[in-house]
Amino acid sequence: MVPLPKGVWGGTTPAVLAILALLPVAVPSATLATEILIFAMAALACNLLLGYGGLLSFGQGLFFGVGSYLAALAMIHLEVGLVAALAIAVAAGAAVATAVGWLAIRRTGIYFVMLTLALAQMGYFLAYTLSKWTGGDNGLLDVPRPPLALFGVELASLDGAYAYYAFVAVLFLAVYVGARRVIDSPFGSTLVAIRENEARAAAVGFDTRHFKMLAFTLSGAVTALAGALYAMLINYVPLDNVAIAMSEHIVIMTIIGGTGSLLGSLLGAGTLVLVGEVLSAIWPRWPLLLGVGLILLVMFLRRGLWGGVESLIARYRRRGEAAE
Amino acid sequence: MNRRSFLKSGLAASSLLAAPSLLRPAMAATPVTIHGLKSMSGAFASYGKFAEMGSKLAVQDFGPVLGAPADYVTIDTEGNPGKAVRKVQEAIQQQGAKFFQGCTLSSTALAVGKEVAKAGGVFMTPAGADEITGTECNAATFRWTVPTYGAIHQTVRPLAKALPDKKKWYTITPQYVFGDALLTAAKDLFKELGIQHVGNSYHSTTEQEFSGYLTNAMAAQPDVLLILNFGGQAANCLRQAANFGLKSQMTVLVAWTAGLDWFQSLGPELLEDVYLGAQYWHQVDTPMNAALVKRVKEVYGITPNYPLAADYISTKVILEAIKQSGSTDGKAVAKAMEGMTYDGPTGKETIRAQDHQVIKDYYLLKGKAKAQMKDPDDYATLVSHGQSFPTGDAILCKMA
Repeated sequence: MVPLPKGVWGGTTPAVLAILALLPVAVPSATLATEILIFAMAALACNLLLGYGGLLSFGQGLFFGVGSYLAALAMIHLEVGLVAALAIAVAAGAAVATAVGWLAIRRTGIYFVMLTLALAQMGYFLAYTLSKWTGGDNGLLDVPRPPLALFGVELASLDGAYAYYAFVAVLFLAVYVGARRVIDSPFGSTLVAIRENEARAAAVGFDTRHFKMLAFTLSGAVTALAGALYAMLINYVPLDNVAIAMSEHIVIMTIIGGTGSLLGSLLGAGTLVLVGEVLSAIWPRWPLLLGVGLILLVMFLRRGLWGGVESLIARYRRRGEAAE
Repeated sequence: MNRRSFLKSGLAASSLLAAPSLLRPAMAATPVTIHGLKSMSGAFASYGKFAEMGSKLAVQDFGPVLGAPADYVTIDTEGNPGKAVRKVQEAIQQQGAKFFQGCTLSSTALAVGKEVAKAGGVFMTPAGADEITGTECNAATFRWTVPTYGAIHQTVRPLAKALPDKKKWYTITPQYVFGDALLTAAKDLFKELGIQHVGNSYHSTTEQEFSGYLTNAMAAQPDVLLILNFGGQAANCLRQAANFGLKSQMTVLVAWTAGLDWFQSLGPELLEDVYLGAQYWHQVDTPMNAALVKRVKEVYGITPNYPLAADYISTKVILEAIKQSGSTDGKAVAKAMEGMTYDGPTGKETIRAQDHQVIKDYYLLKGKAKAQMKDPDDYATLVSHGQSFPTGDAILCKMA
């Protein structure tokens, strides 16, 4: 019998691989599948903060918007390629998240949340005001989707919906495996320790601010990557990308999927995007139903959908053991 | 199975497979499909509902196009530009969609226009952004709505002429591209007409509380208050202006209203004596409008409003162009639309080839007192109408 892979390639990673392979045929289109993966990436980054660090950030939309705008502007004005544009987005997202984190982590609880919210609003109005660069309310148009090229050699065109999905899927897998690696590292364990009891973690000798800052930087970089990929998907950056509603959207996806579970982020993003797709066709005021669903989830399934799946698996296993 | 029977069954199977191509000439032609981009859910759902009614009715009433009745499919934009663009991409890739009509939001219309142009299709929209037929124009995109320039010239100019003693004007403007475009056009016209612009209050796109701006307006003691915001903001601004008693102190003009459904939400008490700019008005006396009002009442039991009329005529124009060109090739249909003159709800309407802008009337209305209303939708009197469009170098469209 072939032994199961261990470490970051074991556990939930094979399930993610299977989902990535099946998603474009399971949902109505490859573009919809790509949108799900992009938002799953943003939710996963939010999960690093909320699920593992216990930091509820409403600045995620800001990082998403920074990634979208910076990648798009670099491609339009500097005519950089795909890899460079994504690298610029990641670096900018990390830098902005570091700045936001540096200020926000000076406070805890509700004051921390309010600071992230205020900074995100500032980012929105900055994008709105700099309309010569961002297009303001009309959005930034004509965002290209360059081919995948390295050192001037074109490796693949990403014009087709399936080609772009494959590219995003590879990046998502890399982010997923990287995030698992981070969580399994001493850094990840320390982050969880801070979440559980910050005073105790500090008493043990950890510089908790330093760890929280690093988590912010990481989360900002991944969220900005998702933002850049989204701009290339729709060849456009709407102002909504940097709006507070985007932050809410990402946080809701994280909570629906389950905080503290990376696979849950994929589940949360998939559920919210697909539910929106189905319900909007049935009832114009569908966000009301979403609200009801969220209330039920928070009341009865506090570990999110993935938590529910885990409970079901555990119950099934217990029943199996009892039968033996 | 021996070799001979295998060959026989193979031949039989191939003839069955070939049958559809043999039968094709006898069958009806493939129907043309119009994809309507409507905000059926989300913040603009009430607008999308009427817009969809318009497009559906146009397709239903048009009759056969290229040998078959046309099909209609709604794409719900969810009031979200990102979702709209993604759904348009899907329709193009999966269904080979080519003909699109709609979009409430300017940002959505601009982005969708780019996607449709890449796919070599045709898109006609009633969205407000001047860039659609200005700096961001393209070969595929057409616009029915009069631009901000026309809206200001067809409201400020006739009002200034009717009230020659009212020389001091104050403006309230939303600070974004649309608001700035209206304000720039208004300032230019003020200069030309010798009007004194005694002040302007800018507000953000999310503003709903206008008391501060209205107090500033009162302090400037203008003869006319020109409101340059739109939709819910214009409604709140007008409500608060009435509460402050501004209607009795000065003339109020809302340059760009959403028309009948907006009037219905405000009621005659608020609208009485207020001057209102409109893209469409159901009482306009043109043959096509009379027929449209009658037909909409028959089918839906309502009076047509702006979104319904705009999406009705835009859908009809695309179908007419497909019929005239005898083709479903996007470029051929766009070519047929360029320069086309047709009977529209505002009278004779022409699509200017240079920038794909429909040349049509814009209206100045005046709110009626409740006692003067002859029917529940008789909210306003038509004061004046006409056509004003940028010409020559003022046309910013550089068609690729």
